[in-house]
Amino acid sequence: MSASNTYQRSDAESQLIELRDSARQVLSGLGLAVNEEKVWPIVTDLGWLLVGVPETLGGLEQGVTGSCAFHAELGRSLAAAPYAAATIAIDAICHSTLANQQSLIERFATGEIVTASLAESAVAIASNKVTGTMTAVPSADKASHVLVCVENSELVALLSLNQPGVEITARQTWDTTRRLFDVRFADVALDETLTLASGADAKTLSSRISTLRDFALAADAVGGAEALLEMTVEYLKTRKQFGRPLALFQALKHRCADLKMLISSAEALLNDSLSRVGNQLDGAQAVAMGKAAKYLACSVYARVAEESLQLHGGIGMTSEYPCHLYLKRALLNEHLGSGNYELDIADHFLS
Amino acid sequence: MNSTVDSNNLREEVRAWLTQNVPQDWRQAMTGTDQDAFVKAQRDWFNKLVAAGYATPHWPEGWPGGGRSLADQKIIYEETARADAPRLILFFVALYHSACTLMEWGTQEQKEKYLPGILKGEIWCQGFSEPNAGSDLASVKTRAELKGDRYVINGQKTWSTMAQYADKCLLLTRTGKSEPPQGGLTYLLLDMKAKGVSVRPISQITGDDEFAEIFFDDVEVLVEDRVGKDGEGWAVAQSTLSSERGLTLVELTQRMRYSLAKVAEVMRERGRASDPAIRKELGALIAKVNASCALADQYLLKRISGTEAAGDASIVKLNYARTLREFTKLGMSISGLQGQYFEDFTRGGSQETGNWTVDFMNSYNWSIAGGSDEIQRNIIAERMLLMPREPKNWQLS
Repeated sequence: MSASNTYQRSDAESQLIELRDSARQVLSGLGLAVNEEKVWPIVTDLGWLLVGVPETLGGLEQGVTGSCAFHAELGRSLAAAPYAAATIAIDAICHSTLANQQSLIERFATGEIVTASLAESAVAIASNKVTGTMTAVPSADKASHVLVCVENSELVALLSLNQPGVEITARQTWDTTRRLFDVRFADVALDETLTLASGADAKTLSSRISTLRDFALAADAVGGAEALLEMTVEYLKTRKQFGRPLALFQALKHRCADLKMLISSAEALLNDSLSRVGNQLDGAQAVAMGKAAKYLACSVYARVAEESLQLHGGIGMTSEYPCHLYLKRALLNEHLGSGNYELDIADHFLS
Repeated sequence: MNSTVDSNNLREEVRAWLTQNVPQDWRQAMTGTDQDAFVKAQRDWFNKLVAAGYATPHWPEGWPGGGRSLADQKIIYEETARADAPRLILFFVALYHSACTLMEWGTQEQKEKYLPGILKGEIWCQGFSEPNAGSDLASVKTRAELKGDRYVINGQKTWSTMAQYADKCLLLTRTGKSEPPQGGLTYLLLDMKAKGVSVRPISQITGDDEFAEIFFDDVEVLVEDRVGKDGEGWAVAQSTLSSERGLTLVELTQRMRYSLAKVAEVMRERGRASDPAIRKELGALIAKVNASCALADQYLLKRISGTEAAGDASIVKLNYARTLREFTKLGMSISGLQGQYFEDFTRGGSQETGNWTVDFMNSYNWSIAGGSDEIQRNIIAERMLLMPREPKNWQLS
């Protein structure tokens, strides 16, 4: 009954949908939980690391929304690529004042791995030397550099991982779809040419980095939860007991419907937050939005994974069936990031 | 034409008007008041909105206030929530259900007969649910028998909001027995003052009597007051039920978001402002409330762009019902024993009056009315996830 409503999809939106569809096609061709050796060359060959990079730096200018679409696709397929860490580091380079920005981005987008922590770090600086520990750093054994945010946001820099004073320790996680490492620095000298920001700029950039990480984890969770629910529903349609498919039982249908609703709400919050923040990822408002999106998406993912295991029954407990891979990725996601999410969201609201 | 500039203008215009016109302290005035005072306040507010053209933005061009795009309607709803204006509860059925049903299915004569009355403040109620036809709406039994130029109606309706104040009724009746049951239904417009109509308000768990039962004893309705054809009632009723097209949930989710401040308020009042356990729950709730707003927003965008899929509306409603329950429950739990002492409630708000126990009880309106959570889950499972339907031939063993 309303007056004419017109809606035209923008070119950028159409381009992103195409990119995402082709990513899904490529990844589904590779199969679930494809390992890093197989998927990383594809990620770099197809230019997926350039999705969020500005056009002026040779990127596709799809912003955070763009890279999040890829986080979601990689999350769907449980791919083992250090994509989130690398996009975060590359984004930091884009938002630095480095003279050699362009050449660094080219290097890191075409195969050389740059990584970053997906959790808390405790790294301090004294007389231009870095000391401390970073946790949950994906693929640090293969990366040439790591993004470091120094405590109290004094400094954001890239550090070479191939130098004396750097100790890399593999941490075996229950989630086998990601390879996480601790990285320890003992009096490692800063390379001035790789300093991305210092002083007030470092504070701004650190805040951008943590928001970006929250959005990346949220997108990974939304993608994973969607794929897992689809898989679970498919299983319930196939599996027969009492002479009928399990999908016919209302008790199970309603649980799936609840999960679908929860995933939709997490996805809606993520998309809404991304469109609100645009490219303004620093600042209290954006940080709070990133935290809310991450908190909701990761808690929903964990819930979907817990329910899916139960809905699969015995087969869900077997290692050959991928249910547990989603569960373990979901559980890890809930504990990545930094801070106490619910409390931080409340603090921002009450302040 | 620049639509962003236009919508900014509209937003400012509506905002300014609301600042001037929302009755001062209406919440206080509507607390502990009787229903007649509430009805009067609703009429005053309705008349103001009609005069300003903000009551009927969803009506077609040519009607006062009509011809606005969904995007503009959304702005009006958002601003109404932002201004904490009273909700037009008493006129909701008239403005949305009746008007939209008539616009879509009504004859020219019916439109001319009924729509001006709605603008003058006629109150309508919905006669759909029956004691034995709730979630299973197609099984209505209220009988309409065609005798010459009129139908003769016998039966009973229930859960009809504000029926005790209604002038007119949207009535879903059974005229045939055909299979499937949806086939034998006929949609009529009934004058609540007609002979043989009696209304009995239902006392609710809050002590309010917002809805009522309606009884029909040989009530006559002229054939000219039938909407659609004989036997076409189910399709007409579907239009009625989808008439507000997600706008209500945009408004309600926004109201819930603005009302998060009330949770902070009760935390302070009860000395729990720095309790980390409560703060943690608040943080989780904030994320969920913002997600509910985003879902409602995106649902409306889908409607605007014509990309709505089956089940989308059910997701939004199920999500709102659940978030609203959590929201009111948190407020109630923070209130502690204090919240269990009776306090007069406020009429005309939604479920964010700050009288947490009443708000909590009223939150069940959203998980039961308008298709219960269970019905929404069926729709999501069957139409979105494409899980099979229940077998039809159930037998008592």
